[in-house]
Amino acid sequence: TMLRRMTRLLSGARQLDPGRFLHRGSPAPQSLDAHLDDQRPRAVSCTSEDDPVKTFNEACLMVRKPALELLHYLKNTNFAHPAVRYVLYGEKGTGKTLSLCHVVHFCAKQDWLILHIPDAHLWVKNCRGLLQSSYNKQRFDQPVEASIWLKNFKTANERFLSQIKVQEKYVWNKRESTEKGSPLGAVVEQGLTRVRNATDAVGIVLKELKNQSCLGAFHLLVAVDGVNALWGRTSLKREDKSLIAPEELALVCSLRKMVRNDWHGGAIVLTLSQTGSLFKPRKAYLPQELLGKEGFDALDPFIPILVSNYNPKEFESCIQYYLENKWLQHEKAHTEEGKKELLFLSDANPGQLERLCAYL
Amino acid sequence: MAAATLPAGLVLQPGARTLRAFCTSVTPAARSAIPSPRECQSRRLRALREALPPRTEKMTVDQDWPSVYPVAAPFKPSAVPLPIRMGYPVKRGVPMAKEGNLELLKIPNFLHLTPVAIKKHCEALKDFCTEWPAALDSDEKCEKHFPIEIDTADYVSAGPSIRNPKARVVTLRVKLSSLNLDDHAKKKLIKLVGERYCKTTDVQQIGHCISELTFSFQKTEEWEKDKTEADMEEYIWENSSSEKNILQTLLQMKAAEKNLEINEEELLGTKEVEDYKKSVVSLKNKGDNENTLSQYKESVKKLLNLM
Repeated sequence: TMLRRMTRLLSGARQLDPGRFLHRGSPAPQSLDAHLDDQRPRAVSCTSEDDPVKTFNEACLMVRKPALELLHYLKNTNFAHPAVRYVLYGEKGTGKTLSLCHVVHFCAKQDWLILHIPDAHLWVKNCRGLLQSSYNKQRFDQPVEASIWLKNFKTANERFLSQIKVQEKYVWNKRESTEKGSPLGAVVEQGLTRVRNATDAVGIVLKELKNQSCLGAFHLLVAVDGVNALWGRTSLKREDKSLIAPEELALVCSLRKMVRNDWHGGAIVLTLSQTGSLFKPRKAYLPQELLGKEGFDALDPFIPILVSNYNPKEFESCIQYYLENKWLQHEKAHTEEGKKELLFLSDANPGQLERLCAYL
Repeated sequence: MAAATLPAGLVLQPGARTLRAFCTSVTPAARSAIPSPRECQSRRLRALREALPPRTEKMTVDQDWPSVYPVAAPFKPSAVPLPIRMGYPVKRGVPMAKEGNLELLKIPNFLHLTPVAIKKHCEALKDFCTEWPAALDSDEKCEKHFPIEIDTADYVSAGPSIRNPKARVVTLRVKLSSLNLDDHAKKKLIKLVGERYCKTTDVQQIGHCISELTFSFQKTEEWEKDKTEADMEEYIWENSSSEKNILQTLLQMKAAEKNLEINEEELLGTKEVEDYKKSVVSLKNKGDNENTLSQYKESVKKLLNLM
């Protein structure tokens, strides 16, 4: 749910003008935290009761060190050099996904083109409707996942879709084709209307963006959550119940090409995630464990960035935030003892703290 | 009749009672004054049975135990001063005591082989032994001169047959470093031996003749040419995909800066690439931990000019 919330936040963010974002100064002095306020139009969010976005009527991210480090690197990116890969890793619940979202938000404000895959694990498991690819007979298409992604991509980057022109002619079938020079939006539309071609449409979009970001018209940010899914195993089977390797999925292939660093004009930010990964032990969080040999070799060289549990200041300000918004109703939550108890129970792990506070 | 006239307190054997029945002429008063031979015997036996305490109560703590059990003997509860219990307890009870305990009798006991007894045996055997060579006074020297260790095991048990199939196993242990193999032969041996190689002590257990093996490992076998990257025990950086990646990246960077004069060897020779190489090798060989990862991060940052 965190991911879904964040994608809605981001797609909402892209629709607003940059001027609408408000920054509220942090109440605690000398702390690293600043809260971002985002007044979202209610029509965009269709949420359940336990969504803090609706509850608090705002979406807040805590600004933390890993994200700041990453933003520093991104600000100093040399767009002539090949795209640098940054890998966020850390134990479960420490805030990798939210750090990724923070970075994406920043880049969106800076007017980069965002290529955000919320969870690569969704592409390698529980997929229904696998079709044999028309483009390449060895591979498989995933029309459902591809169309969902195209929809999100459209909402996130509407501005660019009319600006970018495709550089080749693409023939879909006997009657339909996209001419050279037509806007990228046409390809996306084609993918959305003809679901059978959605996967190919995704592949085309990725290819075009990669080629064109070198030209310098825009900056491209590739953000993938759970990138270890691309090199792991899948849980998908063919009709004869034999397992499919990730290489045989067209979406996975195109994404792998995207995270290679043979293009320039942008950056690639990735997170590793054990939650949702297949066949990996629960305690695994280090890059080599989750990526495996193949993944590591493909991503090498990259900058690993560790996301760890809250330090005391961050913990304090998180509790303060919950108290201010009256999320913690328990009488003892205000007291020092209560805070110590929460600290002990959650071990300063952000995910665990959120789950605990949900009951209070 | 006779039974009614018996004085109270006298517990007689059946034999005595039958005798009693026949001598009706003797008066009761006379009967009690002169006890019959049988009665005397029984009274004496009774006193014997009750009066003698077990030998354990007379034993002192520092007695000479080997004299109590000089040879293998069955368990005598009156001679062993230990309060041993053995047996399956009834509900809400305890295991049976040692007196009259058949279980304790059935099992073999080593009461005749206490350390004190064995010391005595050793003392006795010393006269038949030769001296330990004085030069071999440390473990390393022993290993240096006698690198091969052979373990044989003998099994002693009480059972229907004296043979034990486990006694047929003989283990031969050899330290790899004492075999004078070169790098290639060593890797081959380790691979073939597989699980039986213990890295920490560098000891390896095999069961064949040593000389034949050493000779055969010097030759290169056909199947070795198929050694792929997956088989490598250690990660070697040269010719790996990591090297290719970094080379490509650096070349692209240089091309972007219009710096096309640099060639590959120069790139590989710079200090940053050396650092990167070291960090990747340590990452692959030693696995992930804080140190290796931060080292890798620093080296990549330097390489890509991201400081």
